[in-house]
Amino acid sequence: MKNVEASIKSGNESLKTKISELAGDLGYEETAYHLPVTYALTGNAVKNADDARSAYQRTGENPFVACECYTASVTAENGKEPAPFTGFLPDADLRKMGYSLVDGSILGLALVAGSPPGADVVAGICRELQEKYMLTFLAGDVVGTLAGSGVKVGAEYRLVPLGSTPLRGIHFVDIIARVAMMFGGVSPGDPDRLISYARERAKAIVIVFPGLNDEEIAFIDALSILGIPILSMGGYEGGNWHLATPENVVREGMDQKGIKVTVTAIPIPMGCSPAFEGKSIRKEEMHVEFGGGRTPAFELLRVRPAADVTDGKITVIGPEIEDVPQGSALPLGIIVEVAGSAMKKEYEPVLERRIHNFVNYGEGSWHVAQRDLVWVRLSKEAVSKGVHIRHIGTLIAAKFRIDFPNLLDAVQVTLITDEQKVKSALLEAQKVYRERDQRIKDLRDTDVDLFYSCTLCQTFAPNHVCIITPERPALCGAITWLDGKTAFEISPSGANQPVPKGEVIDATTGEFEGVNRFVKKASHGEVERCCLYSIMENPMTACGCFECIAVMLPETNGFMIVTREFKGLTPSGMTFSTLAGTIGGGAQTPGFAGVSKNFILSDRFLQAEGGIERLVWMPGQLKEELSERLLKKLSDSGRQEFFDRIADETVTTTIEDLMDFLAKVHHPALDMPALI
Amino acid sequence: MTLQTQNIWNGRIGTVTIGADRAHGGTRTLQYTLGGEQDLAAVGPGATQQRPLIAAEICDDPGIWSPIVNTFMGDTVNDTAGWAGTMESEYHPDIVRLHLTSTRKRNFKDFSGIPETVSGVLKSTGLPLIIEGSNDPSIDSEVYQKCGEASSGERVLLGTAEAGRYRSIAAAAMAYNHCIIAQSPIDINLAKQLNILLKEIGVPYDRILIDPYTGALGYGFEYSYSVMERIRYAALKGDQDLAMTMISAAPDSLNIREVREARDDETDRTAATWEFYTAFSAVIAGASIVCVRHPLAIPLLKSAIDSIWPHSAGREA
Ligand code: SF4
Repeated sequence: MKNVEASIKSGNESLKTKISELAGDLGYEETAYHLPVTYALTGNAVKNADDARSAYQRTGENPFVACECYTASVTAENGKEPAPFTGFLPDADLRKMGYSLVDGSILGLALVAGSPPGADVVAGICRELQEKYMLTFLAGDVVGTLAGSGVKVGAEYRLVPLGSTPLRGIHFVDIIARVAMMFGGVSPGDPDRLISYARERAKAIVIVFPGLNDEEIAFIDALSILGIPILSMGGYEGGNWHLATPENVVREGMDQKGIKVTVTAIPIPMGCSPAFEGKSIRKEEMHVEFGGGRTPAFELLRVRPAADVTDGKITVIGPEIEDVPQGSALPLGIIVEVAGSAMKKEYEPVLERRIHNFVNYGEGSWHVAQRDLVWVRLSKEAVSKGVHIRHIGTLIAAKFRIDFPNLLDAVQVTLITDEQKVKSALLEAQKVYRERDQRIKDLRDTDVDLFYSCTLCQTFAPNHVCIITPERPALCGAITWLDGKTAFEISPSGANQPVPKGEVIDATTGEFEGVNRFVKKASHGEVERCCLYSIMENPMTACGCFECIAVMLPETNGFMIVTREFKGLTPSGMTFSTLAGTIGGGAQTPGFAGVSKNFILSDRFLQAEGGIERLVWMPGQLKEELSERLLKKLSDSGRQEFFDRIADETVTTTIEDLMDFLAKVHHPALDMPALI
Repeated sequence: MTLQTQNIWNGRIGTVTIGADRAHGGTRTLQYTLGGEQDLAAVGPGATQQRPLIAAEICDDPGIWSPIVNTFMGDTVNDTAGWAGTMESEYHPDIVRLHLTSTRKRNFKDFSGIPETVSGVLKSTGLPLIIEGSNDPSIDSEVYQKCGEASSGERVLLGTAEAGRYRSIAAAAMAYNHCIIAQSPIDINLAKQLNILLKEIGVPYDRILIDPYTGALGYGFEYSYSVMERIRYAALKGDQDLAMTMISAAPDSLNIREVREARDDETDRTAATWEFYTAFSAVIAGASIVCVRHPLAIPLLKSAIDSIWPHSAGREA
């Protein structure tokens, strides 16, 4: 049993001696990258022993530099090792290899070194690596052992024998360094970029058998700086080496590095592509629908321990498609459970919002809104082609795996269509929604320098941009500022981008120079200014996903709010859906705004117009839903009597009666400055 | 002739360089840098207006090619390299576009023939090349690797990446320093999405050209026109993901009824004219490279383009 830490120390010492003893010229042929690792780290071309020593000093006695210079010197002196050993690979081979990595015909790289106990063990591991599309490099005794087992080696078999000793594994590192410089835009002499490229992009693992000497251990251990997991087959203790068995070593390594055999085709009997996202399914075209006010429905995504999630498992609880006649409405609970080592609880809402896109990708499936407001339809055409309710689950599970390969290892989906069960699961879901909203409660817009954007809805409202601040959650209610931040973390080039606030142009209307600049660009020049706390002046655009619409009622000098759930006529003379049709599509409509329920409770809501006391009407159900929190907000400022001055449909749904009511209760809006 | 601009745009089309001359590590007699426009085609200040280029299309297996072109060219079509040379010396296009139609045959296996064909064409013409590879995902990997390697250093334009299959082409472009054509089926959102996919696997935006897919004039061309217009508007309004040069080819122009049913002595003229009108409309919609197959379409296009872009200055980098 070798102690890794102790060996590293003495290994580095003897490497140092080797470097001090170097003499003469050194260098490789058929490459434009000199000694690639050293070149990448220092930017200098090493041509002789003195260059090598100075590079070794300059890199703080880097073991890679030592191994590379030493190997190059031995090669210069004795020539290349005889076949089957390849030694240093020329640039032309590297291009081909890089090609296969980008192309996807190779998923990753593996280095196997050391002295295996027997041919069978190493043959099994190498076969598994081949089957999993890994390109494997061999260094040391492992080559001979493998040859004895009848496994063919050579580049064409994706098993490349680099050299006769484990130190020749340095070529594995020079390959990574050259790929970084050729494909990754890493410039020579920029070690930080090289390391971050290797960590993020190089899908590489190393498997070590027993028998390494101290120098070799020091070399192998250095690979962990490049983010390469080291899997030990025994014989070593200490260090950050993971002990594995022949049966699980390949899977463990690939898991640790996040190398995944990808899902490509989604096995459902309908087309699935972002191309279908913009289409809708009209009532006449629909076979069955869920939610949308007709039945209870919700969606929820949770992270679970890996043991509790079976990848690809789809469960339907309740009636399937053949159990209901055409044109029916079923309740629906979509519960997506995910597992993954990099997955965090904070990511839940962000991923949950993707369900919307994924279901819309289906040629015959359609989805609007979010959380407990969802509305889903399946088309007659799709159902006649064999689409079932469970296929919504298959689609969601597969898309999550395809779109978040580095985050998720397993996704299972449960679809509940049984009314009682949906109702009880819904209570649970609402608790989760509340907890999520709670997390952001105390953060103020003035506490942060960055807001976040969302342009997910540009697929159907091409110039729409949501700006999400701590106090103004997205109008769809599904994305808070924290979610925006998280989403940006997960995919830095995705739909949520940081928006620097910049100079405050007007603190009351919530106009910021940075926000304007961002919105102008992201709306493709359509929207020049965006006031976050105003509805009358340059309000935010509305895509169509809003939980509620706030509408100015000129007669009342105030605003009303209507929710997606409220089906009746409002004092504006219009229903929610008529209003939605008027303001959606990504246009800026002064006097109208799409808002989330939580934003109503924010001090920034209607700030430019004088605050919550401008509110004259909202549906009873919303009033009830917000009552506890709204009453608290009002009583904190000694205005609790205002609550009863907000009318609802039990008071009236006409503007005339509303005017009478407002006069009777002395509604404050009547005495506020005129809105127009 | 330039029209006054009607809009204040805030975007600019990115540039892309095709072909590499000796000074840039290749063997082409010239190279082009396209893009940089700040307004619609033939509108606005002349300084940013690039003269569109004409690509003459040829192939390595005339069995899968327009019989009209085959008849017109005669035996030449059986010698791919010679065909490329003839196009250059007799019809003077700006670019040669080689379609490796041989790879479209069932059970294609002759991968070693590809480098031969490509280097033959590279020798017989000094013009920058577009190379169109296979059409079948199961052989893409090998075909594009060969195309990329055989034309290494020449900065060719490789075609054609689509949403479902772009990895091999992207890999070839990245490994061997070429540019790529990204084609989407007449849909601005899909065009944008494909560009983003390409960016994510590491293809820089200055190596991508958009092919919005073009139908023949009178047979759906109006959809292509409108999508090209929208792509250009979006780019000029600042959408970086669409701010690429466009390429347009409408090979269907040679298969339409009017051409098929033309009188024998009218066939060539009808075919060339139809290609010309389609391609010229694409130029007006914003295409920077238009591709034609009938040699007689080339002089027609040349004189039409000359009438709007009298100067060829600036197009050779
Ligand atoms: S409504 Fe806004 S925040 Fe919500 S998904 Fe659409 S663009 Fe993003």
